[in-house]
Amino acid sequence: MTPDGALLSLDGISRLYQVGSEVVRALDGVSFEVQRGEWLAVVGQSGSGKSTLMNIIGCLDTPSGGTYRVNGHDVRGMADDALADLRNREIGFVFQTFQLLPRSSALANVELPLVYRGLPRRERRLRAEAALRAVGLGDRMHHRPNELSGGQRQRVAIARALVGEPSLLLADEPTGNLDSATGEEIIRLFEELHSRGHTLLLVTHEPRLAARCPRAIRLMDGRIVADGPGREVAAFGTAPVVTA
Amino acid sequence: MKPVRRALAELQESVRIALGALTGNRLRSGLTTLGIVIGVTTVIAIVAIIQGLNRSFERQVQVLGTNTLYVDKWKYLNLEGDWWIYRNRQPIGVRELKAILRDSQVAVAAAPSVWIRARVDRLDKELTGVSVNGTSGDYLAANGGGVREGRFLVESDVDLARPAVVLGYDIADQLFPGQPAPAIVGQRVLVAGHPFSVVGLLERRGKFLGQSLDNLVLIPYTTFQRFFGARRSISIAVAAPPGRLGELEDELTSILRRVRRVPPGKPDDFTLNKQDQLLKVYRGLTTALYGVVLGVGLITLVVGGIGIMNIMMVSVHERTREIGVRRAIGARRSTILAQFLVESAVVAALGGAIGTALGLGVAQVIALASPLAAAVTWQAVALGLGFSAATGLIFGSWPAWQAANLDPVEALRYE
Ligand SMILES: Nc1ncnc2c1ncn2[C@@H]1O[C@H](COP(=O)(O)OP(=O)(O)O)[C@@H](O)[C@H]1O
Ligand SMILES: [Mg+2]
Repeated sequence: MTPDGALLSLDGISRLYQVGSEVVRALDGVSFEVQRGEWLAVVGQSGSGKSTLMNIIGCLDTPSGGTYRVNGHDVRGMADDALADLRNREIGFVFQTFQLLPRSSALANVELPLVYRGLPRRERRLRAEAALRAVGLGDRMHHRPNELSGGQRQRVAIARALVGEPSLLLADEPTGNLDSATGEEIIRLFEELHSRGHTLLLVTHEPRLAARCPRAIRLMDGRIVADGPGREVAAFGTAPVVTA
Repeated sequence: MKPVRRALAELQESVRIALGALTGNRLRSGLTTLGIVIGVTTVIAIVAIIQGLNRSFERQVQVLGTNTLYVDKWKYLNLEGDWWIYRNRQPIGVRELKAILRDSQVAVAAAPSVWIRARVDRLDKELTGVSVNGTSGDYLAANGGGVREGRFLVESDVDLARPAVVLGYDIADQLFPGQPAPAIVGQRVLVAGHPFSVVGLLERRGKFLGQSLDNLVLIPYTTFQRFFGARRSISIAVAAPPGRLGELEDELTSILRRVRRVPPGKPDDFTLNKQDQLLKVYRGLTTALYGVVLGVGLITLVVGGIGIMNIMMVSVHERTREIGVRRAIGARRSTILAQFLVESAVVAALGGAIGTALGLGVAQVIALASPLAAAVTWQAVALGLGFSAATGLIFGSWPAWQAANLDPVEALRYE
């Protein structure tokens, strides 16, 4: 571990896909660092490589080239089990479609990462309850996903991502399946988490969201074309953002 | 400690998920396990019946003493095609009995037995097909049983060929209905038309191979030969002290070969029958039956197993994204593998439990409605549950393997 180094450090990351006889460069020499406590958006048009980048940062996928370190761990050559454990400890995922287990209560969903960590039942229960309270769902713990609204489901998913106290919260289009009012609530929740010191990485195709992040990275054809304050990067190469 | 706790927590989670999936798809799980249920029901029912038969057979075979040899012309339950060897033998007769009584050091008792079916009557009561048995005073010592009233046959009955008869329990009951036992002793009965006087009554003995052992009368073998002829081959029951049956067998063989003048190098022209011979033949039959049952059971379980495999494939397919989420959250491949294995084992074992209960029920019904017996043994229950759970594990392993090896990125993107 390097507690004073960057939380995430990507150096010359590339990811190639072989499609028939052609090689697709989904990522092509991507380098940047994310410090602890940062809130970073990754923007770009569809097909620009956002999901590929997120999969690599989330240790679900390994790069074809370059070096990627999480909290000082070089993921290259890590065994599958070690990657699973790394995801469990360091990364909290929030997906566009929530991805809750339909037959489990909110509480059971939130407990799951702690099951895989091998915590005793009582501790799992207490921590899951605390995480649900922290996202404002203290009174919905025993509801199943189909008994919750979209916004509430995404809150459960965020509680599940946070319960293991990961180094990084990784969200792929977390508001994509929500109406704008509910999406706004979720963004507020992210703002609150950021202010409490969490490190957040938000993948979005919406410039409006990126504009609210302190920092943003713009991808185009697998390369970083802009890295700076959210407001500037969101406006990069597009018409000026119209605010009402 | 942590890996153990993790494994336990994951197992618990797997069982919970499995039960959830079961109750979530009740109809589908029901249909899936139908094959297993039918297979286990069949196997358990037949096994219960076989074991029931075994028990009653073994209990009944105790009637033939474990320490007794039966000198016979015929071999018990001979299933080979060489019956003519036995038919051509000289009958066993009084000569052999006398030689054994005179020369055997090991034998504690030797009782002849020769029988026919005949009519036994008294006044207006007439019984037909009664087993009339010619024997000696050694009968009880060699065959077991006892006298409940009066006395058994004695040496002088045999020496003088007296018309004395000891009545089996059922015969006494039917010839002298309602009369107290002491009043029966001393009365007269006709055995095949010849007058006999009742000297004693036997205790009740029960059944052997479905036949009553109380439906007989015993008379001195000398009397028997006087009335029914002396050419019939007799059977001699010879009892050994506990644990010395082998010794007795060797001794009797040499006595009998000598008295029957069997030249050296020629095979015996008599048979020494034993209780365990019956058991052996019987066990051979049931073993073959078990083989058939296991074959049938195995086939139905394979059919059931394919059903399980099929449904688990569907389940893996349907839950591809769930698998992706679990992997993202930190489940290892082995965790996913275990989860699906537990699920298929639970589904199959549940089918097995239903099948076991049904099978035992069917066996009880058959036992009540027919002369067959049924036994519930823990082995049968363990067999049913173990077999079906193993089927679940074996046939669930391929789908579980596929689930475990899904690429998390692909799994999350699925649909
Ligand atoms: N599994 C794959 N096989 C082949 N090509 C892929 C695969 N995943 C992504 N790609 C390609 O990589 C590029 C980047 O995709 P992606 O990361 O999904 O972009 P985004 O999330 O920004 O829409 C696209 O051209 C896409 O077609
Ligand atoms: Mg994408």
